[in-house]
Amino acid sequence: MAEKNRRSSIYLDGRYIGSVASGEQFASEARKNRRAGILSGEINVSYSKKLSEVYINTDRGRARKPYIIVENGASRLTAEIEEKLKSGEIDFSYLVRKGVIEYLDAEEEENANVALRPENIDSRSTHLEIDPATMFGLTMNLSVFPEYNSVGRHPISSNFIKQSQGLYLTNFSRRYDPRAFLLYYPQRPMVNSQVYRTLGIEKHPTGQNFVVAMSTYYGYNMKDAIILNRSAVERGLGRSVFYRSYTDEERRYPGSQQDHFKVPAPTTDGYLGEHAYAKLSEDGLIEGEMEVKEGDVLVGKVSPPRFLEEQTSFGVGEEKSRDNSVTVRSGEDGTVDNIMLSETTGATKIVKVRVRSAKTPEVGDKFASRHGQKGVVGLIVDQNDMPRTKDGIVPDLLLNPHGIPSRMTFGHMLEMLGGKAGSLKGETMDGTPFAGNGKEIVDEYGKMLEDHGFDKFGDETLYDGRTGKKFDAQVFTGVVYYNRLWHMVSLKLQVRSRGPVQILTHQPTEGKPRKGGLKFGEMERDALVGHGASLLLKERMLDQSDKAEIWICNNCGDVGYYDYIKNTPVCQACEGHDLSMIEISYAFKLLLDEIKSMHILPKVKMKGE
Amino acid sequence: MSETEKTQFTVVPGEAVGTVAAQSIGEQSTQMILRTFHAAGIASVVTTKGLPRLIELIDARKKPKFPTMQISMEKGVESKYEKVRDIWRKLEDVKVKSLKLNVDEDFRTSSMVITLDPEKLSFFELTARQVVSKLSKLEGVEAELDGGAIKVKAKKKEGIKATRTTFVNILDTSVSGVPGINKALIQQNDDGTYYITTSGSNMEEVLKIDGVDKKGVYSNNPFEVARIYGVEAARNLIANELLTTIKEEGLTVSFRHIGLLADAMTYTGTIRSAGRHGIAGDKDSVLARAAYEETVKHFINASVFGEKDQLKGVAENILIGKQIGLGTGRIKLAVKKEDIKKLSEK
Repeated sequence: MAEKNRRSSIYLDGRYIGSVASGEQFASEARKNRRAGILSGEINVSYSKKLSEVYINTDRGRARKPYIIVENGASRLTAEIEEKLKSGEIDFSYLVRKGVIEYLDAEEEENANVALRPENIDSRSTHLEIDPATMFGLTMNLSVFPEYNSVGRHPISSNFIKQSQGLYLTNFSRRYDPRAFLLYYPQRPMVNSQVYRTLGIEKHPTGQNFVVAMSTYYGYNMKDAIILNRSAVERGLGRSVFYRSYTDEERRYPGSQQDHFKVPAPTTDGYLGEHAYAKLSEDGLIEGEMEVKEGDVLVGKVSPPRFLEEQTSFGVGEEKSRDNSVTVRSGEDGTVDNIMLSETTGATKIVKVRVRSAKTPEVGDKFASRHGQKGVVGLIVDQNDMPRTKDGIVPDLLLNPHGIPSRMTFGHMLEMLGGKAGSLKGETMDGTPFAGNGKEIVDEYGKMLEDHGFDKFGDETLYDGRTGKKFDAQVFTGVVYYNRLWHMVSLKLQVRSRGPVQILTHQPTEGKPRKGGLKFGEMERDALVGHGASLLLKERMLDQSDKAEIWICNNCGDVGYYDYIKNTPVCQACEGHDLSMIEISYAFKLLLDEIKSMHILPKVKMKGE
Repeated sequence: MSETEKTQFTVVPGEAVGTVAAQSIGEQSTQMILRTFHAAGIASVVTTKGLPRLIELIDARKKPKFPTMQISMEKGVESKYEKVRDIWRKLEDVKVKSLKLNVDEDFRTSSMVITLDPEKLSFFELTARQVVSKLSKLEGVEAELDGGAIKVKAKKKEGIKATRTTFVNILDTSVSGVPGINKALIQQNDDGTYYITTSGSNMEEVLKIDGVDKKGVYSNNPFEVARIYGVEAARNLIANELLTTIKEEGLTVSFRHIGLLADAMTYTGTIRSAGRHGIAGDKDSVLARAAYEETVKHFINASVFGEKDQLKGVAENILIGKQIGLGTGRIKLAVKKEDIKKLSEK
């Protein structure tokens, strides 16, 4: 189809603008001009030989990546320029301006022949990678040895790094983040990478170096559970603080009404009881360093009634108000860390209260290494019951070896080895992606370990702390940088036996903040039907849900009510008093009401009695 | 079957067989993939498989996406390839367009010249004369033999569009074979006997062909089978098709569940689907129907006709919060009045 010597069409941002005799020549000319600074550096030109078309892209939103330009088999980044860079005489933007480095978009990359390393440059090369590690994103570059892990683990791993608790900012005491986590004793990782050091993440660490033994422990670390050393936890391992900030504002309403921060009077609508407001000071705000628990009021606030009141026969009565206070969330407690009172742009008062609570690692908390190896604490064991090495080293964490082969995270094991070697030698190790050769790294670490009298593969003879018996197998032991993730049981655990119900349906509420129950859905219902467990089903669907006592008129079959003043049931439809009480789900009563709203009159006929 | 097995497999009174059947089939069919794969290069008839076929059967579609038949031969015929081949020739629906070598259309005179392929004619054992006689039976068409070609002319001149339709109709005229059967293949059993599989089905016509075993004709269209053999045969067909479809996916569901579903679909005498136009839509209870689909429609119709709900079914009783009449709710304790007297006397 492609005829020879066909003119090439040129497309600018996808629109046809003309044609040239040779698209290839045109593209290379355009690139030359771009490198010389005649054309903008933000233009990308690509040429498709198959279609004989040239695409010029100048629009926004293209992902572009920097490459070093290679010309005639030589990198434009010469030793001379590198020297100048090191001395700080020139910087990166200088290189971009002077045509040493250029940015390519996805389309222009199709025309590029990129050498991975300087030694790979040959006559066909057009570009050189700045570093092989640039193929990973920023987060992945904070990990170490990612090139030895399965690709599928990289997105998982970078997700976990993002969820880790650490020193996220140093001005945390002046901030009122809705929720924040701070590690008590953050550490620099024993093994880190070039990008990690360059970005100065060392000043904002996200985890701690754990001594890890790859061993099972009486079945308590099955299926990605981990075992923690209680003494290590008591020394501060993985300990963090949790900040929760509450915000409230004195809103203005039409009719010159507004909210007021104050301790509500007992006559207020929705008054929570005297004890709930006990910790407030006179201005209606809580004091600093006050211990608070679930349901305690942090900011007392009264609002005007939602609807305008009717005038009573006594004229305008006493102004009614309703309680609109901020309380500590259900299931949470802590100490009031700080309170901030300020003014909004709308000239109303705004208050922020930060509550702090210490979170010691407990069973159910989530930890992860930088290789997508997550685990939930399955048991916290006393140090004397943990396995120990011949030197008396007790691991902080026991990782189940079954989690390794199927996930193929060899980087995790390399880090264990590197962390151990580094700890013995007293210096941090380098784990920059593609910086070394796997075998050489293992040999290098092995030699370091042997120099300090350890096994070169990191294996240790372990002795069971409970029985004192030697383990039959050698156990791989090392040091890994672990992150504590912000999924913690104490923020998720919830139980309910009785509790609040929805107004409309009289059924139990849903969700943790409303102390809700767990849904007994259609499929669960079918399972009970399938088992023929009729009484259990009735208990779930009626007794534990929306049981209601309803009066039905024996005469007309309509729903009536019980008049407690006259002490008799009343049917409003036929004005009779001959009614019977039935136990029924409130949802059915609601259904009858809704059918009535459709102008259909449902009647209930009673049988027997 | 031993006594212990008998008690083990006997369904207890009050067992929720329908729910259990639904769960048993439903659980397995989540394993099925919607997309089906076709093996290329194997001489076989294309059929729907997997979940789409299951849905087709349960929804009681009037015609399957790929209707097929398996036709067994009579005793004296089944092992003789030549005789089976004769029957096969009678089966495949041969149209004029599949015999043509070349067609010359003239819209000015509303006539066309069809050159027939002598190889194809002899393959189907047909003559050009037979084709002409078929064509002349068409309304408003004159056909005559002209050497190796057939001259066809529309009797009335009606403009290009009408002529075009006539031409298409002429080419679509079937010359021989059974209408509806697009393709037939002769296949061999393990014991050396032959049978024929087809794509497309027409049971009525196939049964008229001599040499076909009247008891060995199988179609995968339940409605066709119900029309000819009755609803019991259709029930067996539905159950069998469901079972083989599930088995082909490497899954196992007890036949009792499938049989129950097929029974529920056919016990009224016609084939009903399992959805809102069938089993679920024919329920006696207004509340049960309204709880499934098209709630408002059912309530309005119920009010128009003054329907009564006896509150006997499972769905209604769960809705109002009564104990359901299944399983443990099936059994009631009944005491005779005389017995109460006797007890109180003691």
